This record gives sequence, structure tokens and C-alpha cells, in this order.
Amino acid sequence: MRSRLKWGDAVIIAVVLVLAAALTAAFGAGTQGDRLYAEVWQDNQLVERVALNDGTDRTIDLDGHNVIVLSGKSARMASADCRDQVCVRTGTLTRAGQFAVCLPNRVVLKIVGESGEIDAIVS
Amino acid sequence: MKRILAAFLLFLGLAGCAGRQASYTTDFFAMDTFMSVSVYGSDKNSAQEAAVACEQEVNALEPALSRTREDSDLYRLNHAGGAVCEVSEDTYAAIEAAVQYAELTGGAFDPTMAPLTDLWGINTENAHVPAQAEIDEALTHVGYQNIQLLGNNQVQLLNGAQIDLGGIGKGYATDTVFALLAQQPEGAATGALVQLGGNIGAFGENPSRDSGSWVVGVADPDDNAEFLATAEVRDASVVTSGDYERYFEQDGKRYHHIFDPKTGYPADTGLRSVTVIDQNSTRADALTTALFVMGLDDGMRFCAENNIAAVFITSDKQIYTTDAVASVCTYTFLGEEKGYTDAQ
Amino acid sequence: MKAKRLTVCGMLTALAVVLSLVERLFPLDAVVPVPGVKLGLANVVTLFALTRLSARDALAVLLCRVALSSLLMGSVTAFLFSLFGGLLSLAVMWLLLRVEGRFCSLLGVSVAGAAAHNIGQIIAAVIWMQTGAVVAYLPFLLVMSVPLGLVTGLTCSIVLSHMQKIDFNV
Repeated sequence: MRSRLKWGDAVIIAVVLVLAAALTAAFGAGTQGDRLYAEVWQDNQLVERVALNDGTDRTIDLDGHNVIVLSGKSARMASADCRDQVCVRTGTLTRAGQFAVCLPNRVVLKIVGESGEIDAIVS
Repeated sequence: MKRILAAFLLFLGLAGCAGRQASYTTDFFAMDTFMSVSVYGSDKNSAQEAAVACEQEVNALEPALSRTREDSDLYRLNHAGGAVCEVSEDTYAAIEAAVQYAELTGGAFDPTMAPLTDLWGINTENAHVPAQAEIDEALTHVGYQNIQLLGNNQVQLLNGAQIDLGGIGKGYATDTVFALLAQQPEGAATGALVQLGGNIGAFGENPSRDSGSWVVGVADPDDNAEFLATAEVRDASVVTSGDYERYFEQDGKRYHHIFDPKTGYPADTGLRSVTVIDQNSTRADALTTALFVMGLDDGMRFCAENNIAAVFITSDKQIYTTDAVASVCTYTFLGEEKGYTDAQ
Repeated sequence: MKAKRLTVCGMLTALAVVLSLVERLFPLDAVVPVPGVKLGLANVVTLFALTRLSARDALAVLLCRVALSSLLMGSVTAFLFSLFGGLLSLAVMWLLLRVEGRFCSLLGVSVAGAAAHNIGQIIAAVIWMQTGAVVAYLPFLLVMSVPLGLVTGLTCSIVLSHMQKIDFNV
């Protein structure tokens, strides 16, 4: 029989289990399969794509016209030089599928990623 | 071994064309708003083709529904000085639908409000409260009865009326896109999320949910990125009209863009928003405006009589749903934390 | 001799395809919601082919099995996952078989192969779905690969010893 256990078998099983434990520790906490990205589009061109995680802290300034603040797992249009301010009033985006649109400047801030509890918001 | 490898490579090639679930999203600006169409299908190429076809369809529709473009049918009709005009098939069909919903709602939705909205200048530099005399004058031109549909794509406008299809344009475009998606080859577009401005269209099956349905959040009027309720829908359109979409403030008072055709002022009925869920997006689009103008009591009665699925959000933080809501979607109230009550 | 080997390869492929089909009876989707991810029962065939035939034959059987079972079940994801999983598993087992008997037994080889199969599947899933999120399911699959590897290793070892008794050679 070639199934008589040797010490190496224990090592192999241990390695597999330790790998499983390490991956659980690395992935188990933060990601319930929900990786989020903030995308900034200007004139139908993708300007920025930033992965959002707890440590995200970034400000994207589009030549002073639109200022986008990414903070943790959220994104918002902090200011815009347009008349209607619809994009600023949209508020803080936290879920995949949400977007804030500045029509006059043709700037779109959107959150993409695996769909969470909703697919779209009607407003 | 070589032969096996060759056969294997051939199989790889075949497999590349075989079925799988893929999606393609196209974002674009049209009809003065932002639009996003995501198509889910058996492979990326056909999903992309379908999504791009939708975008082209909307772009092609734009001149038929716009009243600001000088080359458009509506611009010509509105400036014809009451003469009979021939318009495109799409324009005619959209005007016909608009008149139909104006009749249905007793004029609460009216596609001839253009002189009034121009007077108020909502969403322009000179948004202001006009003088009462100006409003009264503008109102003499308002009234869907002034639209004469003469058949054969012939339209005539009486009393200096002007047509604005903004109230149903996105709904009409959503319906057109749905029709286009349904015509796609088998498997090319098994599901799609169509967002034309605030109009949401949930087409077919959502592959990322076990239920296959699409979850649409009803926006919190004070924070549009949040929602107060969700509706799980399939093959339906969800449309909201709210006082928060377009407005201006003068002397500390807020003036929004949904006008009451009777008074010529923004409808002041204690509602923040009205959401309608309907298979027909044009209908949903017209009805949200009409119900907002009618107000809660008349609106609820109207919905009960016509079996309309609607969600009313009032300024005193009550959310009312009509009986038909349960039959067209799975509705979940989630506004408790934000101080709202589910007032059946 | 050549015909005999070819026949054995064919039989092994058939057996492997059947095992791939049997695998579908296990509702793994309930725990790992990535369509196409499989337990890897057919690994036992690869292990057998590696021990009794050659690495080349094992590879041929593996490729045929992956192609045939994907044709039968008709999904590209399943095909990709099986291919990546199968190849990685084969490579790891082939390496470990060189130290089998001294360092470890057939059971260890099989466990390592099962683990490699699952790692390969998840790598394929990461590439295919373009999201690292699926790695979150790997720990579960790795833990599963221990009992599964032990069973397949034991099966293979029993088969081998029976073949030795009846003096069957390929």
C-alpha cells in the first residue's frame, strides 16, 4: 500500500490548512465580495478609476470645475462651478450603481462594483 | 499527442464563441440628461451591440422629442403660427400619447406647459417668480385641448399653444429601447438596466440576483443618494417626479419645476415626490407629474380607480403606497431610520 | 504496446468524464456561488495516470477530459476552471510524486493535488471575472480539499495495490 502515512503528509495537510486560515484572515474581514471603485468620467472619457477601501482619502480636482472627494468607501462631488448644483446636492455615494452627474460640465462620478442591495436609485 | 493538441486548440476556439453571461454598459449624454444602459447577454459582443444600438436609438429619437433644437419637428410645429404641420412618426406617436395621458388625468399632466416653464425660467440664469399678469397671459396658451391631431402625422396647434414633450420624452425613449431589446437575437439581451435620466427601466432577467429581478431604490428627497424604500421589479419601468430635481430659491422660498396647469405656479400639494411603477414607461412618466399635481388625496383616489402602482412621499415624512404596488413589485419600506412612517 | 497504452488512456478519459459528471451531483454552488467551480473528483484519474503511465499521458487524458466534459456541460467558465485547476493539480502532483515514498505518501500527493486544483480554479475565476473577490471562497475550497484528497489518494492506492496483486501492467 502506498497510502502508509509519512511525516510529509502531515506537512502537506498543515500547509493547505494554514493557507486557508491565512486567506480567511486576509479576506474574511473586509470583503463580503464587495469591492467598490469610484469612476470619474468627463466628456465620456474615463478620467480616474480609484479602488475604494477604508483608507481611501483623495481629492480629484478637474481644473477647478468639479472637485471630487473620495473618503473611505464613499465618494461625493464636493463642489462644482455649474449653475444647478444637482451633482453636489446628490450627496455622498456609497453603493455600486449610484452616480452623481454634473450635466453642464459633462462630468459623471459613479460607483461601480459588485451589485449590493440595490441596482439603481430612482429620483 | 500532436493530434490531441490540435483538437484541443480547435475546441478552445469553439468554446470562445459558446454561451456565457456577459455585460456591457454604455454611458452617454442625451435629451439634456445623463443616460446609462447596461445590457446582460450570452456574450460580450452581442451585449455590446445591443447596448450601442440602444444608445443610437435614443440619439436618433432626440430630434423627434426636443423642442429646443431648431431643426426639430416640435420647434417647427411650435413656431408655425397655428398652421398644420406634418411631423415624424415618432413625434406624432409621442404627442398622441401625451394627449392621451392629459385626457386620462384631466389635464393634471399637460404637454402644453412650455410658455409657462419658459416664463419661470427654471434651470436657466434668469429663474424668477413672474408677475401674476404674465402668468395669466401664459396660461391662456396652455391646454392640451389646443392640440389637434389630424391623422397622417398632421398636427395643428390652436391658441398659440406650444408642445413640450419633456414630461414623457424619457419614458417614450425607455419604451422604444425596451422594444429594441426585445428584438435582439436570442440570448443577446437577456436582461438590461436602462437609466435615462431619472427613468429606470428594468428589462428581463437580472443575472446577478437569484430572484432575477432588479432592485430599485426610491430616493430620499433630502438625500438623493439614499433611498427610503425598494421595489423589486422585472420588465417594468420605475419613474419618480420630485420637487428636489430642479428648483430655484427666491426670498427664502423654494420654487420647483412641476407646475400646476390650473394655477401656473409650482404644485404645492405637500408632496416631495411621486414614484410610479408601470410596464409602460411613457405612462409612468406622465403619471408621476400628474399625481404630483393632483396631490395625495386626489392622487391616491385616481390610482385606485385606474389600478396604478404609485408611491407618494409627503413633506411630513409619510410614505403612502397604492394597492396596485404589491401586484407589480416586491415593495420594501426602509425609511424608518430617516424618520419616515409607512402610512398605508 | 502502443495500442494498449492508447486504450488505457481512452478508458481513463471516459472514467474521468464520468467522474466530472458525477461531480455535478454535489451542490457546491450553494456554498461557492461561482458557477463552474468543482470538487475535482477526476483528479484521481490524473493521479493514477501519473503513477502508472507517464506525465505526458496524464496530460493528454486531462486535456481530453476537460474538453469532453465541457462540451457535455457546455459552459466556458467550467472549461476554463477545469483546465486551470487540472493543469496546476497535475504539475503539483507530478513534482510531489518524485519524493513520494520518502517524504510523503500517495495521500499527501493527492491532498496537494486537490488543493492545487482549487487554487487553479480560483485563479481562472479571478482572470475570467476580473475581480479578486472570488479569492474569498478559496479557504473553504482548501479545507474541502483535505478530506477529498485523502479519499482520492486512498482510492488510487487501493486500485494500485489490487493491480499489483493481479500483476496488471500497462
